[in-house]
Amino acid sequence: MTEKSENLSVAVWRGDQSGGLYEQFDVPARQNQTVLDVVSWIQQNTDPSLSYRFACRVGMCGSCAMMVNGEPRWTCRTHVKTVLKGNRLEVAPLRNLPVIKDLATDMDPFFDKWVASEGAHHPTRSRHDPIAPVDPTENNRKEANEGIECINCAVCYAACDTVAGNPDYLGPAALQRAWTLYNDTKDANRNAILDAVSGTDGCLNCHSQGSCSHYCPNELNPMKAIAGLKRASATRFFRKGS
Amino acid sequence: MTTDLERHDTDILILGSGGAGLFAALHAQQSAPEGTRITLAVKGLIGKCGCTRMVQGGYNVALGGGDTVERHFMDTINGGKWLPNQDMAWKLCEQAVVRIRELENEIGCFFDRNSDGSLHQKAFAGQTADRTVHKGDLTGIEIINRLMEQVLSRPIEKLQEHRAVGLIPTSDGSALSGVLFIDMRTGKLRFVRAKTVLMATGGGPTMYKYHTPSGDKTMDGLAMALRAGLPLRDMEMVQFHPTGLLAGEHTKMTGTVLEEGLRGAGGHLLNGAENRFMFDYDAKGERATRDLVSRGIYSEMRKNNSSENGGVYISMAHLGPELVREKFKGMVKRCADSGFDLAGGLVEVVPTAHYFMGGVVVDPETRTQMEGFYVAGEDAGGAHGSNRLGGNGVANSTVYGGVAGDVMGQDVGHMNSLRDPDNSVLAAEIDRVRQPFAKKPANIHELRNQLQNVMWDDVGVMRTKTGLERGARGLGDIRSQLDGVGVASDNLAFNLTWHDWLNMASLCDISNVITQAALARENSRGAHHREDFPDSGTMESSYFTVAQQTGETLDVTREDVQFTIVRPGETILPDHEPETLVANP
Repeated sequence: MTEKSENLSVAVWRGDQSGGLYEQFDVPARQNQTVLDVVSWIQQNTDPSLSYRFACRVGMCGSCAMMVNGEPRWTCRTHVKTVLKGNRLEVAPLRNLPVIKDLATDMDPFFDKWVASEGAHHPTRSRHDPIAPVDPTENNRKEANEGIECINCAVCYAACDTVAGNPDYLGPAALQRAWTLYNDTKDANRNAILDAVSGTDGCLNCHSQGSCSHYCPNELNPMKAIAGLKRASATRFFRKGS
Repeated sequence: MTTDLERHDTDILILGSGGAGLFAALHAQQSAPEGTRITLAVKGLIGKCGCTRMVQGGYNVALGGGDTVERHFMDTINGGKWLPNQDMAWKLCEQAVVRIRELENEIGCFFDRNSDGSLHQKAFAGQTADRTVHKGDLTGIEIINRLMEQVLSRPIEKLQEHRAVGLIPTSDGSALSGVLFIDMRTGKLRFVRAKTVLMATGGGPTMYKYHTPSGDKTMDGLAMALRAGLPLRDMEMVQFHPTGLLAGEHTKMTGTVLEEGLRGAGGHLLNGAENRFMFDYDAKGERATRDLVSRGIYSEMRKNNSSENGGVYISMAHLGPELVREKFKGMVKRCADSGFDLAGGLVEVVPTAHYFMGGVVVDPETRTQMEGFYVAGEDAGGAHGSNRLGGNGVANSTVYGGVAGDVMGQDVGHMNSLRDPDNSVLAAEIDRVRQPFAKKPANIHELRNQLQNVMWDDVGVMRTKTGLERGARGLGDIRSQLDGVGVASDNLAFNLTWHDWLNMASLCDISNVITQAALARENSRGAHHREDFPDSGTMESSYFTVAQQTGETLDVTREDVQFTIVRPGETILPDHEPETLVANP
């Protein structure tokens, strides 16, 4: 078979909150082609009614994550060649989030949990003060730096079986953000962070299966961050108890 | 047709969630009287769409160590080739100092540190001091993530995936009543009245074959302002970044930026025969400024000295693949994900449309000539003149977004009631967005390719009168073809193809303004290069273009630059101040 006539066989989930099914499309194979390119090609050339979401195209905005052959991935940075099974590809909306239509999900629950984990900075200074000097080699700072490049794409959230089993569980991204802030010496309210993450739906739910860290496209380690929160919560509990 | 229109009221309405929109929301909440309703409406998701998030390099701000606001200002004026509105440029440099402290201290950003704990700053091309604050090469993610958290955790009304399609004035046209939206998730139309509206949707020159901005950016804001009859300045000024990834026409990876630092670190540009060529064009070779390198590459491409896909190559391997991998980790990984070896091989690159200096005429308080309507960020013209310095973009959007929030918060207190819309304008805008439903569906993507080719070939890196006039005819033809293209209307929920049509409409309208403004400027300044008028003209005689639409007529006029702070040939730096503080500029 020549390169020119080669087609990818692509199954795309179509539907909305009330349910859906896979539809089959043939898409011309190209030398340089991402999963997002495949999805766009279908909408632009075969089925104009296909819905999906993307923005930056370069792995910075975290808008375009989908299930690709059953695994959560950022589609703009996933080269087709790395995921193709035979010449087949299956694309579905991200797991663990409500579907709006076809491949586009409602990310609000994900961000609601980000906020519920006290994921927004609690200031110790104002714009009228000088910027705090921070030793970049200090241990807390190094711990905080490990999680700082999260792009909130929700790939870890979709990968997490604990979220699948308990939809109220805060999930890996929000907890990792909490751990990052907990280690930020500029933050004024570490106790509020621990309060937020040590409740019924918090860090203690994590079974350390590690799907979050396995699938994170930026190679971050939410599982390690959650373990840190568990330790900090336990330490505080025993201190309070003594 | 206004019967199935949903209606909603608020007090302060903000369009866009980049650096400008998010800062405006926070500042409006701080400055507005208690009980003021604040609404943030976004074409995509809050904090995810737009381009501030994509900032790699960093944030220009003078923080001492010899650097001063005056020096930052002079660099901005020189970089803009004396075209900037000087009061805006001054405020940008002055307030950046406050804004960076706000980002670190109140918003919770963490920028890279020196070993003594102070902020690390580096120098970009065109700067005379180590001034750019950054978080690795992912500065925008840190800024927008932190801003997004602050906004999401506050009682600000969020209208996500709400696309603004029309500015609706009052009957006498003197003030703004509100904004017409498409709720993209349902496809329904919604008219939102507000006492004050900030437009911060970002420009984004995505009408070029090669472009860097986010896919959601299609000049909707400027197209709305044009239809509303507002004056737009510097519309010929499109900044091209010299090194966009070139991976073929079938992938969205093409056009995305390979960062400036690659050339700064000693990267080579090679033509199709794998020979270096930049020294044929400038003594600084690959280290010349963006505009010069873009023109050098474009010239090689025109001579057919090009690479496989029609660009040139960037080569880093001579610096040692291990070193490249370590120093440019993000870039190397991004290229690898796309199938290219940046550290050890050749990667094809091409100049790519990056930033739009043109925008709505505003004052330094972000006010426009229309009461109740404010503009900040890339939608506003004036701060950068004919060229933006790397690192001044995010400083501009965050400074002026904050200013807009403060000013709207104060103004809204003096505005007693919401204003009634001109119903004929509202009806006309509704008809406009529903126009394609009456036509037979056809392939919009093909038409967008045509548009991007016309703009690249005839209104691009290097321009001539003949080319621009050919471009104008091509645009007219594409616009009339678009008017004949339909969209199936059986399900309007999350209907991307309808939005593709609307994207094309905005891009066509603004492309035409760019072309007419480029014809009106008969010299070469900053980003605008006329092969038939290669001289810059004297700085003393500097003018900027102003484009304004009345009915179907577009007028482009010239206005003299007012040198309100410093005149060409002079400086506001003290005597005996060195020309540059950078060790190896």
